[in-house]
Amino acid sequence: MTLLEATVLVFVIGCALATAVFRDILSVIVASAAYSLGIATLWVLLQAPDVALTEAAVGAGIMTLLFLLTVAKTVNPTTDRFFERIRPRTFVVLVCFLGVLLMTVPALPAIGDAGSPVVGGEVTNYYLDNAYEQTEVENVVTAVLAAYRGFDTLGEAAVVFTAGVAVLLVLRREAFV
Amino acid sequence: MNVDILFTHYNYIVVALLLTIGAYMLVETPNLVKKVIGMNVFQSGIFLFFITSAYRTGGSPPIVGHGGASTTYVSPLPHVLILTAIVVGVSLTAVALALIVRIYTEYGTLDERVLREVRADE
Repeated sequence: MTLLEATVLVFVIGCALATAVFRDILSVIVASAAYSLGIATLWVLLQAPDVALTEAAVGAGIMTLLFLLTVAKTVNPTTDRFFERIRPRTFVVLVCFLGVLLMTVPALPAIGDAGSPVVGGEVTNYYLDNAYEQTEVENVVTAVLAAYRGFDTLGEAAVVFTAGVAVLLVLRREAFV
Repeated sequence: MNVDILFTHYNYIVVALLLTIGAYMLVETPNLVKKVIGMNVFQSGIFLFFITSAYRTGGSPPIVGHGGASTTYVSPLPHVLILTAIVVGVSLTAVALALIVRIYTEYGTLDERVLREVRADE
């Protein structure tokens, strides 16, 4: 673990905690935008530039815009308290939940292990070896997304279209005036 | 727990923390907008799990061709899955926020507890 990675991880956890404890919705939205930025940096460090670009454009950009528009259309509840108050029994449940999740961690392969099922797997190596010959696309992520699994991407486009139709139906057009 | 785990599995520990924070926001905060933000935190915890599993020490992004400058690449498959998941997540957020705007125009509140009382009175 490099110092840079450690800093970004601490920043990400700090921003996530900030979104959870602030009561003011605008503060929460700003914290969540900073959180998305931290996550996008993390994707770059983990050698996933395609995911980082999508996260920066969609997570930090469009998502923040959608939340701000929602607050503009609705209300930001005024509050006398700045932070959420966490009830003791909630805290106990959260610690149990975290404990159960952490118990699974030692069973996973170490980070960066070349022999892990994902990295050393047959499917991964097939795509890395043959993607350029078969599709003539240099970026294997693009090759899988657009060529090998093109129908899945079509399905994804259908999901986005359905979501757009659903938003229009729910808002019944007068919200855009 | 072994201390070495902290240095070999650190991202997975962050995943556990993000899932916990996301679950707390989803269940416990009364404000509907904050719930949706909690859902996004939970989602990106899962994304971190996938992208970490694709990572390989010394690996470069999976861009091949031109004789291949590098021989070790990170796995492209989890990246593809997460690209799709991010876009689907945005669609989900958009629909959720549209419903929230609609709820506000009908009931005049975004507080889950007030909403429950109003619904009970009807």
